[in-house]
Amino acid sequence: MKATVWSGRNTVQVENVPDPKILNDRDAIVRITSTAICGSDLHLYDGYVPTMKKGDILGHEFMGEVVEVGRGVDNLQVGDRVVVPFPIACGNCWACRHELYSLCENSNPNAGLAEKMFGHPTAGIFGYSHLTGGYAGGQAEFARVPYADVGPLKLDDDLSDEQVLFLSDIFPTGFMGADFCEITGGEVIAVFGAGPVGQFAIASAVMLGAERVIAIDQYDYRLQMARNRAGATDVINFAEDADVVEQLKALTGGRGPDAVIDAVGMEAAHGHGALHAVDRVKQATRMQSERGHALRDAILACRPGGIVSIIGVYGGLMDKFPTGALMNKGLTVKAGQCHVQHYIKPLYERIRNGDIDPSFVVTHRLELGKAPDAYETFKHKLDECVKVVLKP
Amino acid sequence: MHMPPRPVDATLHGVVDYQAGALLTTVLPKLAGIEGTRAARQIRTAGAFHAGYSTVTDYPLGIVKLLPFKAHLALDAVGAVALAATPFITGQFKEGRRQWLPHVALCLFELASLAMTDPTGRGDFHGDVDAVREANLEDPHRKIYDGGPAVVRAA
Repeated sequence: MKATVWSGRNTVQVENVPDPKILNDRDAIVRITSTAICGSDLHLYDGYVPTMKKGDILGHEFMGEVVEVGRGVDNLQVGDRVVVPFPIACGNCWACRHELYSLCENSNPNAGLAEKMFGHPTAGIFGYSHLTGGYAGGQAEFARVPYADVGPLKLDDDLSDEQVLFLSDIFPTGFMGADFCEITGGEVIAVFGAGPVGQFAIASAVMLGAERVIAIDQYDYRLQMARNRAGATDVINFAEDADVVEQLKALTGGRGPDAVIDAVGMEAAHGHGALHAVDRVKQATRMQSERGHALRDAILACRPGGIVSIIGVYGGLMDKFPTGALMNKGLTVKAGQCHVQHYIKPLYERIRNGDIDPSFVVTHRLELGKAPDAYETFKHKLDECVKVVLKP
Repeated sequence: MHMPPRPVDATLHGVVDYQAGALLTTVLPKLAGIEGTRAARQIRTAGAFHAGYSTVTDYPLGIVKLLPFKAHLALDAVGAVALAATPFITGQFKEGRRQWLPHVALCLFELASLAMTDPTGRGDFHGDVDAVREANLEDPHRKIYDGGPAVVRAA
C-alpha cells in the first residue's frame, strides 16, 4: 500500500510499504477514505519530537471502511464506516474506566520511554513517534486499529467524510479546550492560535455559550476564518501589534479574559523579535524543547482566578515559564491530549443536529501522493492553507 | 528553474546579522591584530552600518520594519563587496596582509551567508505550492471569506 512516511527532518515521502495485518484479536484493519495533516504532525516534521525513525508512517486523523476484524471485536463488521480516535485506548485500565483515554495505561508498548519523559506513561497514538508506541499512522491506504472494540465510532448516516473526519482529533481537542474553560454563559474566552484546533476551540466556545471569543494569530486569513466561520467576536493580529497581553486587557476593561486556551503548543511564533530569536535559537540547538511564548502570554493575560486551558502540544521543557503569575493570580491550569473517546459521540450528535459543520476548516483536499508538497504548504502557511485533507 | 533549498530563513539571518554586527564593532579588530589602524575603523563602521540597517529591516528581528528583506540582502551583498574593495582602493593593502585579509574574509563570509539565505525569508521551503494549488479540490479563499457561520451560537 501507499503511505506517507517520515524520512528525516522536513522530509516526508509517499512510499510503498507492506499492508497492515491483524496482530491481535481486538484489532481491525481500516481502508482509509480520508485522512488529514494535523498541526501537531508539523512538530514531527520539524524534528522536535524525539524517537522518530526513518520510515515511520505518519498520521493520526483518519477514517474509512472496516475491511477486516479480529475475533475479539464484536461491535464492528466488515463494511462499517468508522472514524478512528487518535489516542489508542484499551477500555479496561483505571484511566480508561475514568474516561481519561489519552492516559491509557496499556496501549503504549514503549511506556518506559514516556515514563522517563513525563514521569508516567501515556497512551499510544497513531503515527506519533515511538514515544507514543511507534504505531503506524493513518496517512496511508490502510491502517491497523488496535482495541478496535473501544475506539472507532461507527457512522450510520450520509454525512460527508469532511464533516465527520475531524471527530478523530481536532474537533474533540478544540471542544475539550473550551470544555476546560467551564463556560456557563457570558464569559470572555481568548484563544491563542487560529489554526485548525484553534478554529474548533473558538467554535466550541461559541457553541457552549461564551459571550465573546477573541482569536489571536499572526495570519490574517486565519483570523478571517475565525471571525467569518468559527464565530470569533474579536481578533488580534500580533504581527501588527505584538503586545497581546495589553490588547486583551484593553478588550476586557483591564480585567483580562475569564479563560484562555493555548491552541499553539511548542512552536509558537512571536512578534517581539529578540525574545522570539532567543526561543528559536534555544529550541534549534536543543537547549529547550518548547518555544512557549503563546503559553507565557496566555498566563499573563488571563484574569486573576481564571482558567488556562492547554491543548496545544508540548513535549518537554520550557524556559522563562511565568510561575509567579500562575501562582499569585490563582490560576487553574487544565491540560491534556484529548480524551477523544469521551467526546466523540456527543460531538457526532452535534454535527447531526446541525450545531456545527466541521468541514468549514478544510481549505485543501488533495490526493495522498501530494502529501510532501502539502506538508510544506501547510507548514509555511502558503495558499491560505488552514487544513489539508488527503485522499488515499 | 528549480533552485535547491536555501536553509537560512529571515529569523536565522537576523541572528547572524546582529551577532556579526556586535563582533565587528567590538572585539574582531583586536582579534585580527589591527586595533588602532584604519582597517579597524573600516571594519567597525561596516559592523555598525550592518547592525543599523538590520534594525530597520522588515523581518522578525527588525525593530522598525521599513526596509524589505530583499533590499536588506542586496545591501548585504553590496556592503560585502565594498568592504573587500576598500583596502585596494585606499592602497592600504600595501601595508601588509592584515590590512586587507580581514576585509576579504568578511566579504566571503557574507557572500556564503547570502548563498544559504532564502530571499523569500521562508528558509527551507522545498514544496511545490503551484502543484498543490492546481490539485486542490477546494477553494481556500471561498472557504475563508464567503461561507457563513459554520456554528450555531448557544441560545
